[in-house]
Formats: sequence, structure tokens, C-alpha cells
Amino acid sequence: MTNYFYVSPEQLIKDRAEFAQKGIARGRSMVAAIYDIGVLLVAENPSASLNKISEVYDRIAFAGVGKYNEFDRLREAGIRWADGTGFTYSREDVDARALANYYAQHLGDMFTEGQKPLEVEILVAQLGSKFRPTKLYRVAYEGTISDEARFAVLGGDAETIRERFAASEEVIHPLKETLKNAVNALAGPERNIPTADLEVGILEDRGNRRTFLRLDDAQVSELLS
Amino acid sequence: MGLPLFSAHNDPGPSFFHYAEGSGLANASAHGSAESPHATTVIAVRYNAGVVMVADRQATGFYIASRDVRKIEAADRFTAIAISGTAARGIEFIKMAQLSFEHYEKMTDSSLSLEGKANYLSPIIQRNNLSTPLIVLPLLAGWDPSHQIGRLFEYDGAGGCYERFDFATIGSGSPFAESALRLGFRSDLDREAALELGALALYEAGDNDPATGGPDFVRDLFPMMVTITEAGFQELAGAEVGARFRSINDRRTQSGGVAGGTLR
Repeated sequence: MTNYFYVSPEQLIKDRAEFAQKGIARGRSMVAAIYDIGVLLVAENPSASLNKISEVYDRIAFAGVGKYNEFDRLREAGIRWADGTGFTYSREDVDARALANYYAQHLGDMFTEGQKPLEVEILVAQLGSKFRPTKLYRVAYEGTISDEARFAVLGGDAETIRERFAASEEVIHPLKETLKNAVNALAGPERNIPTADLEVGILEDRGNRRTFLRLDDAQVSELLS
Repeated sequence: MGLPLFSAHNDPGPSFFHYAEGSGLANASAHGSAESPHATTVIAVRYNAGVVMVADRQATGFYIASRDVRKIEAADRFTAIAISGTAARGIEFIKMAQLSFEHYEKMTDSSLSLEGKANYLSPIIQRNNLSTPLIVLPLLAGWDPSHQIGRLFEYDGAGGCYERFDFATIGSGSPFAESALRLGFRSDLDREAALELGALALYEAGDNDPATGGPDFVRDLFPMMVTITEAGFQELAGAEVGARFRSINDRRTQSGGVAGGTLR
């Protein structure tokens, strides 16, 4: 005979949230910020090949923190969704808000109904155009979606990093300053993050349809100097 | 369309075609036939710094359906795709190829090799051509950054992919274009010579094949000419192409409608 113990819904949610938070806190954090002519995504990532930041569509980028296999699957699904939507309708019909909503629904479903909640936080960034505004959508592990006005911090240490970054970014700067501030916020006063451990991507108009650009170590060093 | 998540055993991977087919976005095996205009002559010539491609602009059904069709498109920065056959399937094919190469790049953070792209298209062509009479035959040309050469691939009706080291033609005007190319091709062609030979071959096709549109001096519409080199896909300006065809036309007028003894 099996005994079932009663667990209150409050307790269940609390346990699940704690589990997800712990998982996310094991990884490094990332900062996304709007700069004068684009969007910057910068993550602390010691791996040069297991990316946290990715191109999704012409003007949309993805970033994930937490468990790599979980957010990478969401990244792939996002690229599929975007390419599929653009193929079915038109390129200008691909909207970051719709994608962020799908992520929110999926994370919410996994949080309440899944075997275990996903230990990830997701960011969907959109570079503005004639049709849409520049936006940062942050989706938390339990499916909470928020639309951040100027910048977003994802990861275990988000609160501290957010405070540090907010203090240095009272106005919108050019890329160089924004990147410096973001890296300083990620590192904190006692630490120095080597360039090789930074993963940096931007969304910026360069006269091409595709606006995403991954910056290599040399370009990052140059901007940080 | 919901979020396309897959479990590891049925994940389509970085292939957009397999995802699109599996999810019903693209109808890869439509049966039956319908009337659709046809796209006709495209020529590709390898030269010492890349590949030249020339295509006429006409889509032909029972009558001329369009005079300004683009039959060559950049699939990505270093790759061009040209189509002949059913226009409807050809346009869909170009779209699928462009999207697939970009999709692969975004999914894996690396580009497909040129040979990888050429092979990727084979089953798509095979699936289309063996399931419907709406045949489409493409040409793939590109600059291969890993070997630092221009390369050219042609396909047969069943999707077989063959690399060509000289030149290739597709479409109903092929026999005429091919004759000109066979007479004029040398292995050491430079850009100018390759453009001139390509233009001459297309002029021949337009002159002899009713479905191939030659230079249209009335509407100022000229064949498309592109080069694919280390600098990527570059389309020649309309004025430059126009001048080239005008000069061929003048020479032909002088010699009574034929080349007049030499290929010119």
C-alpha cells in the first residue's frame, strides 16, 4: 500500500521555485541593454562554443541562462518558429513579442505541469523598425514575462548586477560605454572577467537585412580598451 | 503556429526543409499538374576568379506571362541559385534554399560548406520532380571560401548533382546557349571574357528559342548578369548589361543576323 502525503499548493510552488532558482544560480549571468543605435547582449561564458546568445531572426536575438541543454532547445525552437512564420507569412510579420509569449506559455506549463520546472531564464531582444519598437522581453523560469524598458539582467546574481548596472547607466550610451558598464556590472568590484570569458552579440543596422552580429575577442577588447 | 519543440529522437535538426515538411508548412510532394508559366534560359560560366551567371527575364505560358522575372537570386552572400522549369515551384525552391542555408547558420552558428549546400538541394529536387510534372531544375554556383575557388553544380531531373568545371546551362534555350559556350569556352577566361561569352550564349538562346526572352530594347529590359567571386554575389547594373547587348546586336545587324564567321 502506498501512502500519499498531502502537500499544499503553496508549498509545491515554493519548492519548485526554489529548485529552479538554485539551478539558475549555478550558472553565470548575462546583461542585455539598449544602446543609442542598437541592442547589446553580453554574457559571462567560459565556453567558446556552447553559446548563450544567438541570432533568431533579422531583428531578433535570443539569450538564455541556466541549464544549457534546456535553453538551447528553446533557442532552436525559437529559430524554427521565426523562420516558419516568415516563410508562411512575410519577414515583417515575425514579432519578438509573439515569440516571448510562446516561451512564457511553455515555461509556465513546465513549471506547473512538468516533471520539474525548467532551470532557465530567457531573453528575447528586438531591434526596432518602422513597424515595431526596440524591446527586451525577459521570461522567468515560471513563465512570468516582463517587458524591460532599457536593460535586463538574467541569472542567479541578477539583483546585485542590476543595481550596479543601473547606477552606471542612467542614460542611454553608445555601444562602447554600454559594454564597459555591462562588463563591470557582471564582474563586480573585486573581479575582472577575461575577454575570452565574455560572449557578446549586438543587434544593429548595418545596411543589411540581418542585424545580429557576434563580436569576437579582438572586437570586444577593442571596445573595452 | 505554436512553439516547435521536439524530443531528441524526432528533432529535425538544423534542416529547415525537414522541419517545414514535417510540420506541413511546405507541401513537398504535391501531386497532379496545373498550368504555370515556365522560366527558361540560364547560363553559368566558370572563370579564373569565380563564376558568371546570365539569365533571360521571360516567363512563358501559352503566351508571355512576364518580361521581368529574376531567375537568379543570391541564396546567401557567396552562393547563387538559378532556376528553370515551372516558375511557381522554382520560386518556392529558391525561397526554401535561401531559408535553409540561413536556418542552418543560425541553428549551428556555422555556415554550410558549398558542397554541403549542393548536396542538400538534391533530395528536394528529387522529391519535387518525381512527384509532380511541375519540374524545376536549378543551378547552384558559389564562391567556395574553404578552397578559394568558384564552383558550379548542375542537377538532373531526378535530383542528381554534378559539379561542372567549365560551364552549365538550363532551360529550353540550352541547346543554343550550349553551342555558343562549347565554341567559346577556354579554361583561362577572365571576368570580361566570361561575361562576354555568357552574354553571347544568351543572345543565341534568345534569338532561336521562342520561350527565351532576349534583350528587350523597347522596354529597356535586359538579361540578368551576375558574378560570384571572393567579394560575394554581385549583380551587374542594368546600363552595363544594356550596353553589352546593344553592342552584340549592332555587330549582328552589320553581319546580317549571324555572327559572321567568328563568335562575336
